[in-house]
Amino acid sequence: MRKLAMTILRRLILLLAAGLVIVCFSFLQSQIHAAGSLPQVELNADNVGPRGIEELTSKTITRDYANAWKTMAEALDKNRPDLLDGYFTGFAKDKLAQLIAQQKQTGIRIKYDDRGHKVDALFYSPSGDAMQLRDRAQLGIEIRDGGKVIHNEQGPVQYLVLMTPGADRWLVRDLVTTPEVKP
Amino acid sequence: MRTRLTTLLAFFLFVALAQAAELRPPAQATAGTPFSIASSGAGEGTFYLIGPAQISKRKMNGGEIAVQGDEVEQSGTYTAILCAEQCTSVHFYVRPARPSRLSLLVHPSRVPVAASNAISAVAFVFDWFHNLVLSPQKVDFKVVPPEGAAISQSKTTANGAAWIRLTSARKGGPAKVGASIGDVAEIRVVQQVASDACNLRIKAIPGPNGISVETDPVRDCSGNFVPDGTVVSFTKTDSSGKTTVDAPIKRGVARVEMAVSGPARISVASGVVNGNELSLGGAR
Repeated sequence: MRKLAMTILRRLILLLAAGLVIVCFSFLQSQIHAAGSLPQVELNADNVGPRGIEELTSKTITRDYANAWKTMAEALDKNRPDLLDGYFTGFAKDKLAQLIAQQKQTGIRIKYDDRGHKVDALFYSPSGDAMQLRDRAQLGIEIRDGGKVIHNEQGPVQYLVLMTPGADRWLVRDLVTTPEVKP
Repeated sequence: MRTRLTTLLAFFLFVALAQAAELRPPAQATAGTPFSIASSGAGEGTFYLIGPAQISKRKMNGGEIAVQGDEVEQSGTYTAILCAEQCTSVHFYVRPARPSRLSLLVHPSRVPVAASNAISAVAFVFDWFHNLVLSPQKVDFKVVPPEGAAISQSKTTANGAAWIRLTSARKGGPAKVGASIGDVAEIRVVQQVASDACNLRIKAIPGPNGISVETDPVRDCSGNFVPDGTVVSFTKTDSSGKTTVDAPIKRGVARVEMAVSGPARISVASGVVNGNELSLGGAR
């Protein structure tokens, strides 16, 4: 009887240890994901016009748009408008800076869980100084007031994006959610 | 039996009251225009409005929720949240207001004359609050050359943008490129400069230290003077070998002095254009 109890206890301890390892592993993985990696961005430039996108520009846009989303999520999460300087300019930067100021004022916090972007290039100006994109983003959005979650949702959100070239990168100049964007 | 029924009724009543209040935003909301959101909640609660650049939070006590124009100045998706016992939320879309601003990009700022489709103009249509107006709008583009009649062309925006390509005029000088929508207009100036040199010709004039070689006034194929500072290359080939001297155009003419011993050939070029060749010490 005592032997049986010991066996059960041993198995329970093993099970608990295994559970702990799994929890720690997923926590670490989520931390690594949050801290280091860029959101996944897939750019489709098959139907862009009037100018075609060069391969190097396509890679740069993909990289810079991913960086824009990463820095935006961080800026909103940490209430740090200075993080927007890297990849935002114009109206997009002004609106996000205003949103962060309102977050500070109200104690509300918006948190994005970025699960990737399917981006279609819609318009690339003849002189190469502006590009318009449609982004079908998969996002988790959590809104907190203090410690209380007041809204939580996951799913697709569609954005219309205007990007313009800067000195060494492309910058997001306008970023607006839209119900429908015609190609 | 009666007690059980009362308990059951009380339970259903509690469940009904505990259910989150429903929010009913308007089907169409416009940036900067006030509206109200109907709420089925009767008790105290907190209302939140989260937009692209705006967060509002206020206490409320049932009934309709008035949303001010300055709370919805940015177009896009808004989330209205009402929290009492529990929170309920609803999304609605705020569309841009009527077009009030234009952003016009014109490139390049300097362009050679008679260059086909060399000028591009892109217009973005915004409302008063800097929201890109996504519904199709007719933009009128207009080009006013330094001489001659203005040319107009209308384009309809797609996702807030309209564009045209233009060929520069044959005469140099500033051309005004404008875009307008209603009573809103934007103008940019493109400087049209002479194109490459055309019919480049040189002549030789004997001087005290050799010969002076100079061009005729340098013009492009449309008769415009090629700008001062444009480099002209003079190449001399004689018994001592080949020598090239570059000289900028000054007051329409490029000029160099060259020492020549014996028979020599002198040629001239500017950019990709070659001019005539002189033979010295023999027949011209």
